[in-house]
Amino acid sequence: MTAVFVQAGASLVIVLFVAWLVGKMGLGADPRIADEAHAIRLAEEAEAGFHGVEAARDRAGFAAIVQNAEGRMMLVRAHGNHFAARPVDASVIGKLDKDFLTLTTPERTFGAVTLQLGRDAGMWASRMREFRRG
Amino acid sequence: MDDLPDPVTYAVPAFVLLLIVEMIVSLRADKSRYSARDTMTSLMLGTGSQVAGAFVGAAVIGMSVWVYQYRLFDIGIEFKSWWWAWILCFFLDDLAYYAFHRSAHRVRWFWASHVIHHSSQHYNLSTALRQTWTGFFSLTFLFRLPLFLIGFPPAMVFFCAGLNLIYQFWIHTEAIKRLPKWFEAVMNTPSHHRVHHGVNPRYLDANYAGVFIIWDKMFGSFVAERDDEPVRYGIVKQLGSFNILWAAVHEWVGIAKDVWAAPWKHKLSYMWREPGWSHDGSRATSATIKERWAAGRTAEEAAE
Repeated sequence: MTAVFVQAGASLVIVLFVAWLVGKMGLGADPRIADEAHAIRLAEEAEAGFHGVEAARDRAGFAAIVQNAEGRMMLVRAHGNHFAARPVDASVIGKLDKDFLTLTTPERTFGAVTLQLGRDAGMWASRMREFRRG
Repeated sequence: MDDLPDPVTYAVPAFVLLLIVEMIVSLRADKSRYSARDTMTSLMLGTGSQVAGAFVGAAVIGMSVWVYQYRLFDIGIEFKSWWWAWILCFFLDDLAYYAFHRSAHRVRWFWASHVIHHSSQHYNLSTALRQTWTGFFSLTFLFRLPLFLIGFPPAMVFFCAGLNLIYQFWIHTEAIKRLPKWFEAVMNTPSHHRVHHGVNPRYLDANYAGVFIIWDKMFGSFVAERDDEPVRYGIVKQLGSFNILWAAVHEWVGIAKDVWAAPWKHKLSYMWREPGWSHDGSRATSATIKERWAAGRTAEEAAE
């Protein structure tokens, strides 16, 4: 059993070294959502059959909300060098604070996403409420 | 049991060296191929898999030896006299791997363990090391048992399995585009395996091969990579997290929640049906996703 722990310890050292090297070499990306069309494409890639018609992009481009013709919404956010998305359904809690809309998903590991939407924040918060009632 | 070295242990320095070489290539070709947090998660999952494997290794060997006593044929292990058996063992082990791997994508119980390997949105050599922690629990060792029943000595089978694993390491890369046609026709390659890691509807549930792509061609699961459709990697519902523990167990948690909440007659189905299956049809399986995608394409073509 000692050998297992020695092996695991050696692996751990290698893991930390390689991860440090990735950072040191400057590998990685800083992905942003370029515009509404980009946000719609990301939402459509995340869920086959979802066709976005409108999107609101966070000012910094880290996240966006996309809506389809039936009123369903998808939340897209940056994750590492890529993006991840979740449907904005009844389990998602929305909180409006002036120009900011914070969406909290029930998945703790996905977490809450705050979008700076400017004057559109209120409109999207209303849409969320409408869709829930709908 | 005969004593043979574990070839994977000897390959580890080469794994690390190739990983660094690929990082240098990425620095020139495309920096976004690597992310420090993703690499860290992949390698930590690999380390965890090593530890988990060490804890259950004795049980797997014990079971293999027990099954081996009921073998149909007596096959020796000495290479000079039994070279043909070694080659046959390597082929059949790869076929067993194909059967395991296909099941791992089509049965949620096996998928819960295998999903770790697919949970990165990157496709680089560190992804190859993102391995399961729960393989023993999900009973994946069952797929190799027929080899022991035939009569291949457990040491021979485990050695071949190690070689199979080593082969699969280098195909996890975007640095190699296509290899010579004859090689692409017979062997699993980076191109074929990129397709396997794809979440594009066109690429879902394809190319389960370990070493020889011929199994996919024989059993109808082969899909070629297309230059006009770059592969998007990961899982249908991207994790959106670098949490190591969550990556290792999230599908098991999902199964537990679904089984708990499901009506009695559907409980087992949440374990043995395909990933994405639900009794009320509220979720999407890979077949549903492909249908929706095909319907969308038909509509687009009609509009044009």
